[in-house]
Amino acid sequence: MLGGMISDLETGDEFAPVRYTVTSLMTAEYAHGVEETDEWFLSANNPLGRQVRIPLMIHADKMRLLEANCPAEARLSGKHGPDARVHYEYHARHRSPAFVGEELLVTGRIVERYMKRGRVYLHYQMEVHTADGRLVTEYTDRTLLKYRPGEMT
Amino acid sequence: MTAATDFEVGAMIPGRELVVTPERVQWYGDGMHTAATGELRRAGRNIHTDVEYARQQGLTTAIADGMMSTAWISSILLKAFGRDYLERGELRTKYIKPTNVGITVKILGRIREREARPGGAVRFVLDVWTEDLAGVKLTDGDAVVEAHPAD
Repeated sequence: MLGGMISDLETGDEFAPVRYTVTSLMTAEYAHGVEETDEWFLSANNPLGRQVRIPLMIHADKMRLLEANCPAEARLSGKHGPDARVHYEYHARHRSPAFVGEELLVTGRIVERYMKRGRVYLHYQMEVHTADGRLVTEYTDRTLLKYRPGEMT
Repeated sequence: MTAATDFEVGAMIPGRELVVTPERVQWYGDGMHTAATGELRRAGRNIHTDVEYARQQGLTTAIADGMMSTAWISSILLKAFGRDYLERGELRTKYIKPTNVGITVKILGRIREREARPGGAVRFVLDVWTEDLAGVKLTDGDAVVEAHPAD
């Protein structure tokens, strides 16, 4: 169910899309956060001639979707749910680079909410396109809704 | 320097070894929050930045965000394959054990498959992972890159 907490999400939920424009601050600070010093992400001084959004920023896009669609647990705004979620799987397919200054459209849905060995998981599917329709990233993700000791493996 | 298309099956791509310091964990959190909001942000209290909160959640100590391991793996792929990875790469990672703050991790990648493609290109499938100094895998995954000959 959309509109509540992340733990309320269910199979088939379609997120309201998010649009934003990639800025140099976003890209450079994310690059700093992952200690990526290559010019690809810090300036236009690279073979593509434009500052490139790090493909890993798809995870920040997931946070944007959750912020917009789960307002009761808007983590970027400081609202936390009762339990820590644990990211279990990241799977990104890079389809084209996105650049600073481009507007992006982030879409996504919950493919499945399922239980495995007593643990509840969310399986996300997301896509990022430029505003003019170019596919940037295809992404799937599995997240464990509540961590319990000794159950990560 | 070896061209990306020269890697043979079984070859290790250049990896790295690093200590998971609290500062690194904070940098990641800050960068992610800034990227997700568009405003300069600092990550708050969570299982990555706060040992007590992590213990309340059943962990033994604070743990690195899984995305940090993914990012370190992505970085060695970028160094090995450059633009080909950036534009058309694929990366899958699974966080199979916690990466505790304070440990030392190795970031590793090995060529599993290579397949010649038209024009001198080579499609590689790699096993990629992180492990601690005892050789225990913490993050496991695979990557796909179609490398093209340098101009």
